[in-house]
Amino acid sequence: MAVDAKQLAAERAARLKAAVELKEPDRVPFTGIGGDVIAAYAGITSYEFNFDYEKQCQAIIKYVKDFPSDQPVIGMTGLGNHVASMAFSDYPDLYPIISRVDGPTNDILGVDYCRFPGRELDENSSPQFIGREYMSAEEYDELIADPVKFCFEKILPRIVRAFRDMKAPEAHAAMARLALEKAKAGAAMRDMFRQLQELGYAPGGLSVFFAPLDFIGDQLRDIPNLIKDLRRYPDKVKAATEAVLEPLLKVSVNAKGPGVETAMIPLHLNEYLSPALYNEFYWPTLKEGILRLAELGMKSQVFFEGRHDAHLETILELPAGWGTAYFEKTDVRKAKKLLQGHTCIMGGIDVGMVISSTPAKLDEYIKEILGEMMPGGGFILAPNIGNLPRETPIENIRAVYEAVEKYGKY
Amino acid sequence: MVSPEAKKLAEERAARMQAALDLKEPDRVPFTGLGGDVIPAYAGITSYEYEFDFEKNRQAAVKWFTDFPSDSAPRVGLGGLDNQSMGVAFQDYPEIVSGVNSVNGPMNDVLKMKFVRFPGRELDENSARQFIGGKNMEPEEYDQLIADPVKFCFEVIMPRISGGLKDLGSPASLATMARFGLEKARQDAEMAKTMQALMELGYYFAPRGVCLAPLDLISDQLRDIPNLILDLRRYPDKVKAAAEALVEPMVKMGTMSIKAGAKECFIPLHLNEYLSPKQYNEFYWPTLKEVILKLVEAGMKVQVFFEGWHDAHLETILELPAGWGTAYFEKTDVRKAKKLLQGHTCIMGGIDVSDIISLTPAQLDENIKKLFDEMAPGGGFIFSPNIGTCPRETPIENVRAVYEAVEKYGKY
Amino acid sequence: MREELLRSFVDMDEQEAVRIARELVETEGGAVAVLDTCKEAMEEVGRLFEAGEYFLSELIAAGDMFNQIMEFTLPKLQGEEVASLGTMVLGTVQGDVHNIGKDIFKVMAEASGINVIDIGIDVPHEKFVEAIKEHKPELVGMCCLITLGVDSMKRTIEVIKEAGLRDDIKIIIGGGRVSQAVMEHVGADAWADDAARGVRLSKELLGKE
Repeated sequence: MAVDAKQLAAERAARLKAAVELKEPDRVPFTGIGGDVIAAYAGITSYEFNFDYEKQCQAIIKYVKDFPSDQPVIGMTGLGNHVASMAFSDYPDLYPIISRVDGPTNDILGVDYCRFPGRELDENSSPQFIGREYMSAEEYDELIADPVKFCFEKILPRIVRAFRDMKAPEAHAAMARLALEKAKAGAAMRDMFRQLQELGYAPGGLSVFFAPLDFIGDQLRDIPNLIKDLRRYPDKVKAATEAVLEPLLKVSVNAKGPGVETAMIPLHLNEYLSPALYNEFYWPTLKEGILRLAELGMKSQVFFEGRHDAHLETILELPAGWGTAYFEKTDVRKAKKLLQGHTCIMGGIDVGMVISSTPAKLDEYIKEILGEMMPGGGFILAPNIGNLPRETPIENIRAVYEAVEKYGKY
Repeated sequence: MVSPEAKKLAEERAARMQAALDLKEPDRVPFTGLGGDVIPAYAGITSYEYEFDFEKNRQAAVKWFTDFPSDSAPRVGLGGLDNQSMGVAFQDYPEIVSGVNSVNGPMNDVLKMKFVRFPGRELDENSARQFIGGKNMEPEEYDQLIADPVKFCFEVIMPRISGGLKDLGSPASLATMARFGLEKARQDAEMAKTMQALMELGYYFAPRGVCLAPLDLISDQLRDIPNLILDLRRYPDKVKAAAEALVEPMVKMGTMSIKAGAKECFIPLHLNEYLSPKQYNEFYWPTLKEVILKLVEAGMKVQVFFEGWHDAHLETILELPAGWGTAYFEKTDVRKAKKLLQGHTCIMGGIDVSDIISLTPAQLDENIKKLFDEMAPGGGFIFSPNIGTCPRETPIENVRAVYEAVEKYGKY
Repeated sequence: MREELLRSFVDMDEQEAVRIARELVETEGGAVAVLDTCKEAMEEVGRLFEAGEYFLSELIAAGDMFNQIMEFTLPKLQGEEVASLGTMVLGTVQGDVHNIGKDIFKVMAEASGINVIDIGIDVPHEKFVEAIKEHKPELVGMCCLITLGVDSMKRTIEVIKEAGLRDDIKIIIGGGRVSQAVMEHVGADAWADDAARGVRLSKELLGKE
């Protein structure tokens, strides 16, 4: 890594760190905007992007070169395999192998909730998670008694085709083939990270944690069922969130690579719940998780999907400087009023605008957001969701980056 | 980068071996070279280092094959021990078979096989790796083996022989497989580096299939030899049926490397010298022959290592079609074999490793001269030590004497 | 009894609501009363949602209650004239295979009296055209969850235009990632990122409110 690349990486890291520490950096830190458009920009299909490691890495490097930011969303492909992460939580060395399903590994595993471009989907579609009910309401007691064992013995065989009979050669072969495939991917990734370092990006990454109720809703019961469970079996649901908390934290530790200080927590059910339900079923174990992650040396970055407005004040129950609140539809200005000096705020760019607006309007739009959000620091500019579709006009993307350059200085 | 000179050298060496296989006279007598534990000793490293550390293994190999050049693609990389019953268990997954079929030191750290011993682990750091065998199957289980050998090897045998897989379907056993995959990926990358280093020295590498005589798989991997010998009398029909059931799996094991470009399959025999001609012809040879014929049918040449004395069964080789492959002899007199097999079978062997250890350079020179005088004419002969492993203590001046004699007397 | 049904339904008391409905449906003209009350209740739930008092979980629970009650009520309504506000063709656009949002909206729309023709997920542009020709709806609803759906909606509307059908229908788009800007971009008539708003606007587009 050249000296100036090293210095650039240090500057970028410092910028993000200052914001998380609620200070004013030299410039507003910007995560960049990416997603499916990265493949389109490189002239490859989403299928190629998801199945061909080399093309994927080349596309990412090309995009990051042309659109530099402080922490590029490098379009981590694939979908989380959270049940597997929990089932194998006693085997930290396996986390990198089993925690994500991308195109080639899904060809080996056959994961029920995964849909990939060029396979089940059109070659230019996005990978999609389509969950179902994998656990019946009668099984809450088993889940509560031993979530790791339950996920391994009961849920994995239902979710992963190759694991439908755990004792069979197919299941054993799948584990070995998975490792061989990940090794192949790893070789391409190492090369990409080397190039990213040369472009001034420090190696890093995020650990991950889930709100216990989201784990149950998204991975096990499916949301409509869980919503009914809240009324029908409130005690069981509550006990289950408490039971899965420890293993979920174990997974976060497994996911914490060297030097990683942040755990990403993508919320899902938050906007489904009334404050009464949120405070009874969702928030207590999420809050405990965030506090425990802090004890484990990790700041949290919570992605509040949808509108979090009804629950915004609960954030103040966390200690000041706990981490970052990343908002989707909640107005970041409104959040700032409440959370300034307590919580770093992330978000601000409506992806819908980037897709459908014009460069001039976007310039104005970014100028306005930065004008309101920058003062006092503690703000990271980011798209409100991670994925720009393939058809996003490149001139709009360019306008966003240029506006950040123009108006982002403190 | 492989230089044009190195490439040319590799082509000459390959052509020399090929001519012998085709029962013709090459330009020189092809020589497989010597190897084994003497390679780490020559490089000044322990056998443990050689068996577990790819970098040291590679350096030692490069030093050896630079100082002692030979014709065949040398056996490089970490040495492995036969584990074919696990190969059979995974025979539907070729990318796994190549890693479980033979188990080396680091792989054994993952799989924890019950019947192998490695230097620096169970053994002294300068000991040789060893397969100690053992009984993994009861006579009452023959029917299961006969009914479905692949299923039987997977479900019944594998949990007994692999500590990592003793509880199939458990997180621990699946984790073992994932770690196996990681280790295999690492070893594949390391092997590619080693082969590249050797190719730069003018060596060539051709993938090769491996399988066993069906009865050897039963005796070495499942029943253990003393038990199998008794089984031949107590349950002759079951043993026969079991050997027959293993023909297809063995052919599959042998031919699965064709896709990767293999043109030859290696079959090391073991029980052959234990059996009377009557037993050999009843229990051993029919299924071995069938395997060889099917491999030949699939377009492969076969190299059979006839361990010990094969004299009593020598004539059965003539039942195979001319040009089927190579008979590699250990104690059987190659001169005697040549008289019988010339024009039909390529003969390999010729020098006793204990001679290399215990004779003088002058005696070795004399012996090789005599051997070549008798064996070279008419072609179809590959010069090789009678077993693969020269021990650490092999005198280097004797090693040198062998290579010099080959150089002196090997020209056609 | 209608009052009690309405109250327990709106209060999310599932057991009580189902119990009363079962009783009411057996009385003279009870099936019609149950249907009307449940529709009214669903409308009230939607209102509470838009007022920020109820959340998605209540919409889902209400939808489930509505379906449960309809299961034993609808068979008793055979032969009765059930008024319809109009017909809507509804589908998740091509490339997107999510259904949860669409399903929440669907039951609420049906409860409001809209005749919904559900043409599924990952619906090709042409299939929308065919469904419009076949069912002659007043309204077309397009859903997407992921951002990829935005362009897919745009293309679907273009194809509908090319088929000469655009002027016969109103189009509402819905889903987590749509907005005013997206609506203008794709050329729809209304947008909603929640089901209650979606139903309210659908009714407006049908000229019923």
